[in-house]
Amino acid sequence: MRADAAHRLALLVRHNMTLRLRDPGHLVSYLVMPMVLMLVFSPLYQAALLDGGRAQTVIGLLVMFSVLSLAIVGPSLLTERTWRTWNRLRVSPASIVEMLVGKTLPVLVLLVVQQGLLLLFGSQVVGMPVTGAFPLILFAVCVWSFTLLAIGVALAGFVRSHGELAAICDVGALTVSALGGALAPLSMMPAWARTIAPLSPGHWAVTMLKAAVAGDAGTVFQTAGVLVLVGLVAGAVACVRIGRGLDDLRG
Amino acid sequence: MSVLEVFSLVKSYGSARALDRFTLVAEPGEVVGLVGHNGAGKTTFANVASGLLRPDAGSVRIDGSVPRAARRVLGLAPQHLALYPTVTPRETLRLFGGLHGLRRRNLTRAMNEIVESFQLAEFLDRRVGVLSGGQQRRVQAAAAMIHRPLLLLLDEPTAGVDPQTRRSLLDAVRARAEQGATIVYTTHYLPELTELGASIAVARRGRIIARGTAAELLKDLPGEVHLTFDDGEETCVSTTAPTAVLARMLADTTKPVRKVDLRQPTLDDLYRAVAHAS
Repeated sequence: MRADAAHRLALLVRHNMTLRLRDPGHLVSYLVMPMVLMLVFSPLYQAALLDGGRAQTVIGLLVMFSVLSLAIVGPSLLTERTWRTWNRLRVSPASIVEMLVGKTLPVLVLLVVQQGLLLLFGSQVVGMPVTGAFPLILFAVCVWSFTLLAIGVALAGFVRSHGELAAICDVGALTVSALGGALAPLSMMPAWARTIAPLSPGHWAVTMLKAAVAGDAGTVFQTAGVLVLVGLVAGAVACVRIGRGLDDLRG
Repeated sequence: MSVLEVFSLVKSYGSARALDRFTLVAEPGEVVGLVGHNGAGKTTFANVASGLLRPDAGSVRIDGSVPRAARRVLGLAPQHLALYPTVTPRETLRLFGGLHGLRRRNLTRAMNEIVESFQLAEFLDRRVGVLSGGQQRRVQAAAAMIHRPLLLLLDEPTAGVDPQTRRSLLDAVRARAEQGATIVYTTHYLPELTELGASIAVARRGRIIARGTAAELLKDLPGEVHLTFDDGEETCVSTTAPTAVLARMLADTTKPVRKVDLRQPTLDDLYRAVAHAS
């Protein structure tokens, strides 16, 4: 039985990776745009923040564009509703857990690859100093990707259309990023924004990724705990919602 | 043991009752033609029987198990197309065959058979999204049948298809039934059920109101005897015994008859009678 489940999961992962790679537009644009913006804004941030300028540029844009990548996560489920294929899978022997993992694992890999490439570009081209160990940075990237994935899947369970999802992703990305200190350091933001910043997952992501790059393992694990908690809550909501099927969603 | 045992299903959407004590039993190798006008509960039944919807009351057993536990032996081709447009028919068949436990040589053999049966070879490696509606229908039915399910639920599989597609679908369904599969075939094209040799279940307002072979259900419906005389006069009689009535009419008439039309009742008549009654 376990071998059957593993076989089905492998099939679903391969199938969903094929679906993602045949529609690569968002992924490519969310890789190229932050790279261009890193080159443009790096001198400004260096002038404003001196030593921390390069890290602020790279990590800030990475967080903002990884949140924008919810536009990849959400539609991967939403299209199953549009195509009516989710119910076809539900009639197969695949369990809801296999279907969800098979659906989300390829997206998780793509999110990790996106962030990994942006960090590589930031360190090699922009010149962001990296003193943290590779496993620590990878851990931080995986935690943030997991949180994004869970939020994206939960969103997909409630929105009515691709347009609604795109609007939420765009507004959410800018809000989460700005409040989180991705666009400008918290120290430069107004008092009210500093007060509510911890409510934004972006705040914890920026803090965690900066700490990972700087090699501050203690801060990484502390902030990772918050993000994992957010991810688990969003994931639980998503599982309950999507387990009931996608056809009975509102709208 | 019956492959499909459905007893007293009730399913409501808000205040609208889609299934109202819906009962249906089907044996191995039987094709059940499920007919009824729109809103009769046919698609809701298919969704409950395949485990997609939970009934409010009643029970469904497929080969002795509840639907969720019987998914390995169940095949469903839903009314609306449900395919991934960016993958090919080959990838679609591999996915659904694999999910149902077919591997390596078994999967290859099953794919070869189903490709030949549904004549998919010429577009096997083109993306589903660029195929015609009829070709997509064939891919959908093939994906539902590749694992040789014990119970096959086909919800209007020939809606909007060309004659060639209809032919290949009907041939494949008949072949599966001959191999022992139980098939519930929902359709508005009643001659298809005659071709399939299907027994008939007539649904109305969420309930099966007539069940039996075509001959059993048609025996009480009137046929027509239509006589045209040499002088141009015509006589038409509606009767449940058209042959006997024709013989009596021919014996009684003194005028020369130019043309005789004898029309036995058809499933269309049954369908119309049910629709009229509703």
